[in-house]
Amino acid sequence: MPVITINGRAVHYQQLNEQATDTVLLVHGMFSNLAVYYFHIAPILAQHFRVVMYDMKGHGMSDRAESGYHLEAMAADMQALMQVLRLPAVHLAGYSFGALVALKAALEYPQRIRRLGLIEGPDPADKRMLEGIAQYNRDMLLDYVEKNDSQVLTTGGRRRLEKMHRRFEYLFHETTIRNDMEKEHAFFEDAAIRALPHDTLLMYGRSSDCVGAGELLHNRISRSNLVLIEGDHTVPVQQPAVIGERLTTFFNN
Amino acid sequence: MDSLVPTHAPVNSEDTFAVLKTFIEEIIGEDFKDEIDIRRDSSFTADLELDSIEIVAFSEKVKLHFGSKLDFTGWLSNMDLDELIALKLSDVIEYIEACR
Repeated sequence: MPVITINGRAVHYQQLNEQATDTVLLVHGMFSNLAVYYFHIAPILAQHFRVVMYDMKGHGMSDRAESGYHLEAMAADMQALMQVLRLPAVHLAGYSFGALVALKAALEYPQRIRRLGLIEGPDPADKRMLEGIAQYNRDMLLDYVEKNDSQVLTTGGRRRLEKMHRRFEYLFHETTIRNDMEKEHAFFEDAAIRALPHDTLLMYGRSSDCVGAGELLHNRISRSNLVLIEGDHTVPVQQPAVIGERLTTFFNN
Repeated sequence: MDSLVPTHAPVNSEDTFAVLKTFIEEIIGEDFKDEIDIRRDSSFTADLELDSIEIVAFSEKVKLHFGSKLDFTGWLSNMDLDELIALKLSDVIEYIEACR
């Protein structure tokens, strides 16, 4: 597996169409990994761009980390990855928490980001996910897997469930992830968001609980366009071709 | 031992199966190796219980071992989610054989 070292930790990444002139960098969501892009969205983008995707620390096949899950650190990790891969500027897209990381990166490193695609970025002021983390137990995982059986490639099985459970237990109880996320509750109030200079495509599932966050960002980011796609928060899994094609058109403009 | 080393392609489907089985054993790891029965008709998700990032790892091993002529990611990307979930080892063996 391709791995680079960032801040002393191994980071798993994948890339397609390395010869292309322009690069798209993809950031996955919290408790997920780069596979959300690997099978469908990345190959569509790779018809036009070099595509780079990576597993955030504590996720996928990257090394674990006990701390540093707040947006500034996650954006700094992303910037360090760009340094190591010698990517002076990229089109950037993120999904869910990855959309918040992408937005933070655009604020922190504006010269290094060309166009910005934000998919299903939630409002960090929404306490539901933090409450879910606080209450997490194995039964909740089983319930989640049962409800999302056909959507997230999680068709049960003792080994897979055990692996997910161990990962969640680690992230929720042995890292600062919950506190780090809690501290971001006012991120959308950051005045810098209103001054964001980037062309920004906001994509949300029409029936997603996060649509309100999309509308809020659309109101605050002057150069933004909000697109609703049939689906819910898992719209990149439900409609990967639509997401891939929308991003391709947007980044090609 | 990690078998992620380019080698000469196997000469028949039994050899291909043996190579793919080794990949899966490496991905599953020692803790669960004896609990999972890896057969030609095993599906990646329901039988082998691979999650999505493990299928990425499997895909990378296939690409590196069988060479760049084989567009394994491209082949997977043409499948919808239901097809990916239903994917069996025998489908991959057939694909690899067809690419020769």
